[in-house]
Amino acid sequence: MESTKGNTRKIDVFRYDPTQGGDGHFDHFDLYIDDETNTTILDVLIRLQKEQDSTLSFRYACRVNMCGSCGMVINGREGLACKTNVSDFPAKQGITIRPLNHFPVVKDLVVDMGPFFKHYEECLPFFEPRKIMDEPAIIRPDSKERIAIGLATECIACGCCVSSCTMANYHENYAGPAPLNRAFTLLMDSRDALYEERMDKVLQSCYNCRTEFNCTEVCPKDISCTRAIKYIQRLAIKEPFKSVAKPKPAQDVESSPEPEPIIMNTAPGTSPVIQTPAMDVKHDTSRCRHESTPAIPVEAIEANNTSRRSFLAGLTMGIGAVSVLTVGGVLAASFVGPAMQKKPPLWVPAGSIEKFPVGQVSTVNLRYTENVGIYKQELVKPVLVWRPPNQNKIIVYNSTCTHLGCTVHWDVNQNLFLCACHGGAFALDGSVMAGPPPRPLDHMEFKVDSGNLLIAMV
Amino acid sequence: MIHETLKADILIIGMGAAGQLAALYAHDENPDLNILIVTKALKGKGGCSRMVQGGFNVVLNEADSHEKHLMDTLKGGQYINDQDLARTLVEQATPTIKEMETRFGCFFDRNPDGTVHQKPFAGQSFDRTVHKGDLTGIEMISRMTEQIMKRKIQVLEECRAVDLLKDKSGQQVTGALILNMKQGKFIRAEASATLVATGGGPTQYRFHAPGPEKSVDGLGMLYRAGTLMRDMEMIQFHPTGLIIDGSVVAGSLLEEGLRGSGAYLYNGNGERYMKNYAPDVAERATRDVVSRSSYLEMMAGRHCEEGGVRIDAAHLGAEFVLKNFPGMCSRCAQFGYDLARGPVPVSPSAHFVMGGARINRDCETSLDRLFVAGEDGGGVHGGNRLGGNGICESSVYGRQAGKALARFMADNGTAPPETDPEMVGELMAKYLAPFGRNGKEELFVLRDELKECNWNNVGVVRNAKDMATAVEEINAIREEAKTLKISGTRAYNMPWNIYIDFLNMLDVSDMVVVSAMARKESRAAHYRSDFPEQDDDKGLFNSFLTRSADGKPSLITEPVDFMYKSLRECQIHKK
Repeated sequence: MESTKGNTRKIDVFRYDPTQGGDGHFDHFDLYIDDETNTTILDVLIRLQKEQDSTLSFRYACRVNMCGSCGMVINGREGLACKTNVSDFPAKQGITIRPLNHFPVVKDLVVDMGPFFKHYEECLPFFEPRKIMDEPAIIRPDSKERIAIGLATECIACGCCVSSCTMANYHENYAGPAPLNRAFTLLMDSRDALYEERMDKVLQSCYNCRTEFNCTEVCPKDISCTRAIKYIQRLAIKEPFKSVAKPKPAQDVESSPEPEPIIMNTAPGTSPVIQTPAMDVKHDTSRCRHESTPAIPVEAIEANNTSRRSFLAGLTMGIGAVSVLTVGGVLAASFVGPAMQKKPPLWVPAGSIEKFPVGQVSTVNLRYTENVGIYKQELVKPVLVWRPPNQNKIIVYNSTCTHLGCTVHWDVNQNLFLCACHGGAFALDGSVMAGPPPRPLDHMEFKVDSGNLLIAMV
Repeated sequence: MIHETLKADILIIGMGAAGQLAALYAHDENPDLNILIVTKALKGKGGCSRMVQGGFNVVLNEADSHEKHLMDTLKGGQYINDQDLARTLVEQATPTIKEMETRFGCFFDRNPDGTVHQKPFAGQSFDRTVHKGDLTGIEMISRMTEQIMKRKIQVLEECRAVDLLKDKSGQQVTGALILNMKQGKFIRAEASATLVATGGGPTQYRFHAPGPEKSVDGLGMLYRAGTLMRDMEMIQFHPTGLIIDGSVVAGSLLEEGLRGSGAYLYNGNGERYMKNYAPDVAERATRDVVSRSSYLEMMAGRHCEEGGVRIDAAHLGAEFVLKNFPGMCSRCAQFGYDLARGPVPVSPSAHFVMGGARINRDCETSLDRLFVAGEDGGGVHGGNRLGGNGICESSVYGRQAGKALARFMADNGTAPPETDPEMVGELMAKYLAPFGRNGKEELFVLRDELKECNWNNVGVVRNAKDMATAVEEINAIREEAKTLKISGTRAYNMPWNIYIDFLNMLDVSDMVVVSAMARKESRAAHYRSDFPEQDDDKGLFNSFLTRSADGKPSLITEPVDFMYKSLRECQIHKK
């Protein structure tokens, strides 16, 4: 390795004195460095403090890339002072050292990491066991989840990614790369119980990412937050309803002659409430997040995951929002019409009108059988039922996004229908609020017969 | 000067594994407890637990046993361990590591069948070290910091405890005086129970493995508070600290697993000198033996060009080294060394303080309302700590302390007595004194003098003459320190904090040299060229010291209590 010996570097360091206020300024130093390959930027700062200006402030702890305390902007690029060597820059080039972007400056190069950890905490970055086990889980190192997680858990929360992100500054609610990366590792962790809560917290943030890969480029631990963010979006499409609610064993479902449709009612601006016992999965997100989760037999989790995979297969086959269900009810065969283009509508019961509270959006999974060529397929289709307050009115939306056919879901906190694929957002009246959808949500035809809501599948 | 007052049920000083686990277990025993953590760094970013590379020794395999782990620990400590503490360590390590996975979400490396992997470490009769790659501490501390967030336990960042507070009687600890480093303001934190868990970090030596922010703060404040301390002569030097001339990185470690996996050490003449010092195990000898051997080679002039010896793992195969030690490889690569394919210069590096406050298995100390866990406590490791027993100690005893603190609060969790009314004012005046002085700005010079003094005279190899020199030098440096001046404002004033670090180093240097002079034999990490033999007739004692009225340590010795394992059993144990 070529070593650069004996060189005087021109070094400009940002200075800010909290007792003086103002915008800060740069101080210039000349520093003779004997061996630049053996001198880190942290060494430079320590020497400046020791030899030239004892009032210079910066933050560090471990000095070996493990604690993430000394993140700063060095010649325009984020990095750890302890991991950047002077010889990384061409000989004679000046070195400019600034505090991280997008953080309040405490003094000189020291920033307040508070906003970072606030976002971090909001992403529910902590493990919540599905069940208190006596022994560590048996998980093979070559399992899909561990391969996907890889070294992404090695994040040292240095904030370099947030500083490098051009979006972090413009979207106050954007969680930022590192917090989303941590959320990703937990979403993939089969031992963790908070999949749905965490997904709710982080998904919207993911759409703020413009895939510029700055975070990936500057990460001192070689973690790709961009990948993590895109992975979360992919998970949201593949496994929108993954949850830890207690699923019934498959046999019970089969023996049930006429399964109840699953309804989830969520009033705009209020916490969602499950009205019908969830056979398939929707999960009460209002549950206190700090409570320990009821024990679930591992087999049940696995059975549940199996049905998820089938569900996923349906999606990836390109059927859009309509998916195949491995278990489920069978509707009367007489409903099944010829599989032609202009088939008459199939009136699928959605349950008693009483189950759709006024002032709330309810998600109902309609189950029906359709003839496709010579096959009979059992299908499930989520639809969105909105009962505006103070009006004797029902609106039924097709949950298929008008952009590319993913499933939209109702987000009670934002009062929007959201699409996980490309960030489409629709208002309560179905109109497009954000993202690429070309037209409002489609309405579905319905009728009320003897107090029961029937929805037309075409 | 005006200061803020905070009150809590439990005050925890330090946020490494010991402090965090204590907080988590105390909280989980009783979520209503008001727990306050203060840390010198940012949340979870300070200290040595995060810097753990190798891993955590624990019995998980049926072919292994607590008995074997205990015997290895006693053998490693050369028999002067507190056997009850050592036994608690090995027995509680098993549930502790399991709970780290099942309750707190750590995920350690796995065997191909999905069970937890354990790797070989030096000085062990079984491959029992659980790890996450070669940077295990990041996984442990990151996951536990998140659990602290989850429980919304209050953490004051960049707030260092400078001294413990006590009542008028001097027997009850009422909390600690805290310095908010960011603002430069003092906080009086009072609590029913106080846990000191700052970690040690013997950075008072030229080469040191812990980060420079570590400065034996806990040991210093415990000593000044009058806590009974033990075995302070026992300072571990890790054999493989990187030599990077002039850089703060110098002394940082290449992990033990390299030697465990079969890496060789060569002196400047290209000889595998460990075969002369420890013919049976060579490089896999314990840290004390390897460090001493390297040091003696260096002193005999058989050092390499860079001044130390060289570690070479190339014969293990580049692919193996890159796969198993990626963190170490990248650390070396940053400075132009290729660990996978060639030698890297290393030196012994001050690493760990085996001594510390005398505690029992519930982390209680000689003072009331005062608990100590982790490296600030002494006795677990005896005269030398095995690689992989360090994070094990901080975790196990953090957990012990958390449970003990919750019990203490349930049984007698009354508010603390009134703090000695003079104390806070006196302490603040003491720490603020250098601001008003018309003295010298030679803090860094003095600190470096202390480091050189300790390295040369009370380091890897000691003798009576050198130590007498050290006593004089330390006293002289202490006198000089009284003239030091600090400039600038108080907010985020780094030299001021280095000054406070330096005062702690001075007090600990006193304790080490006094204890080292009292042990007239060589044992474990303590090697005397004037008494080179281990003497099991005279040397089987523990040294206990407190700070006497004149500010100097007063020392007594007590015979080792062989309560579970006899001397004979310890002596014949083969690793």
